[in-house]
Amino acid sequence: MSLADTAQQIRRRDLRLPLAAILVVVALAAPFIGSRYVTHSLIIALIFMLPAHGLNLLVGYTGLLSLAQAAFFGIGAYAAGLLAVHYGTPFYVNATAAGLLAGACALPLGIPALRLRATSFVMCTLGFVIIGQAIAKNWISVTRGDMGLSAIPKPHFALGPLSFTVSGTTSFYYMALAIGALATLAVWMIVRSPAGRNMIAIRENETLAESLGVPTWRYKLLVFIISAVFAGVGGSLYAHYLTVVSPLTFQMYYSTTMLIIVLGGGAGTISGVVFGSLLFVGLTEALRITPELRMIAYGLCLLVLVFWFKKGFAPVLNRFWDMIGGAK
Amino acid sequence: MTGLPILEISKISKSYGAVKAVNDVSLHVGRGEIAGLIGPNGSGKSTFFDCSTGLQRPDAGTVKLDGQDITGWSLNRIAREGRMLRSFQKTVVFKALDVEENLVIAGQMFTFPSLFSTFGIGRLSKKRISGLRDRARELIKMAGLWDVRHQPAGNLSGGQQKLIQFASMLMPEPKIILLDEPMAGINPKIIERVIETILYANKSLGVSFLVIEHNIDVVTSICQRVVVLDQGKKLVEGLPHDIIADERVREAYLGG
Repeated sequence: MSLADTAQQIRRRDLRLPLAAILVVVALAAPFIGSRYVTHSLIIALIFMLPAHGLNLLVGYTGLLSLAQAAFFGIGAYAAGLLAVHYGTPFYVNATAAGLLAGACALPLGIPALRLRATSFVMCTLGFVIIGQAIAKNWISVTRGDMGLSAIPKPHFALGPLSFTVSGTTSFYYMALAIGALATLAVWMIVRSPAGRNMIAIRENETLAESLGVPTWRYKLLVFIISAVFAGVGGSLYAHYLTVVSPLTFQMYYSTTMLIIVLGGGAGTISGVVFGSLLFVGLTEALRITPELRMIAYGLCLLVLVFWFKKGFAPVLNRFWDMIGGAK
Repeated sequence: MTGLPILEISKISKSYGAVKAVNDVSLHVGRGEIAGLIGPNGSGKSTFFDCSTGLQRPDAGTVKLDGQDITGWSLNRIAREGRMLRSFQKTVVFKALDVEENLVIAGQMFTFPSLFSTFGIGRLSKKRISGLRDRARELIKMAGLWDVRHQPAGNLSGGQQKLIQFASMLMPEPKIILLDEPMAGINPKIIERVIETILYANKSLGVSFLVIEHNIDVVTSICQRVVVLDQGKKLVEGLPHDIIADERVREAYLGG
């Protein structure tokens, strides 16, 4: 190594830790930095990050394209909403029930759907969203049909004698942030585990994985269920934040938004999904004040993506991360 | 080579519509044996392989591995529980993953006791993986791939990829390996190396083999017994040199 190289190494310090610290501080201080509207946009981004994380496990790591995510999101939203309206249960009960119910619904749907080949599987998952909406519309005694559920109480926590309600936007933001962080950690743990390696093997070459003893079918089903659990928990946040749930929660637009987050952010990367949620949901939500501009910006975003970032923004993020880390 | 054969396939048949791809074929591989399976293109060798390894379900017949009936088991179960591994002609490696990762994946299902245990990231899980990594490195050295172990497998030559595939199949300490044209499309230098590796696995690790191969020199130099298929049926079976001299075999290959 020459002297010049050494000098360069000294000059280019590893800035990753400081940057990470800044990001954490910004995330924690966001409600006090930006306006209430910014906080609101961030909450929406965090809510959609959950189903996107789940979808990423399916699309990005296991290689299964699914449009069913909005169905599980809707199931979670209704489950949490109904529990909160009828029984006034604490938020963690509602969120857990929402996740479990979504996961439980994924089992009987996944068993036949995963027997199908790639394209048919996608079409089948699309059907789940439509069926979900039809049930929400027509099972009036439970879902109140098109009227939907309204006046869903703000999330509250009850721990022994202590109880408090998450009433304001700021406190809701912190709750969503905490859940989002936990979900991100959970995904990180899954993809770092040997199972994560098997999922990638299935994505890369299913028959080869199978020939090496990997029970691919069982993994796919399990990941399908796990991804639904993420969506269900996201749905519970959605119900509690908006305080209304209608059959429109089951809409293709949501499924495609979740897919855009994953593919645009960077399928098979965690940072890509976090970034994608902020960009594709946070940003468009923030631009909602100017509806014309919003759709144009959204469209431009997608165009840029398709032409210059075919693998999403994750490779760019990674390069930046390596660069500030002092790597050449 | 005493006792029960390691693999005993009886009266396997498989049809696609009106075509009988495999018609009542029986075959066995003795313990520690290297058996060859040859035949002209379209003689049903690959279908026979697929039916024996769970990739396809045979219409009739049974497959016994180490005395256990495994007919109808899935490909992954036969690999995992039966420790009978197979190669493919075309799909060889996980191209996007590096050489070492390829081997670690190959060993995982044999090291973790259940599907759920693979989700662990605790100390036990890490210990299992580091054990796999050590074994993977040994096999990588043996296969002469040490210098490229961190390269994406897809960047390597066809021959090197075959060696990776071969090393991957040795990860789980298999009882028997079925090779589908291991020498197809690789250069003579690597052929030597693959032969060495097969003989090493056979002699030192006690792995039995059933090999589909077109290269007749390879067949005569490694196989102790050869079975010839023609038009879905077993034509003849015997010592390599007798098979080469056999009139019926010549006719099958030349006369088509």
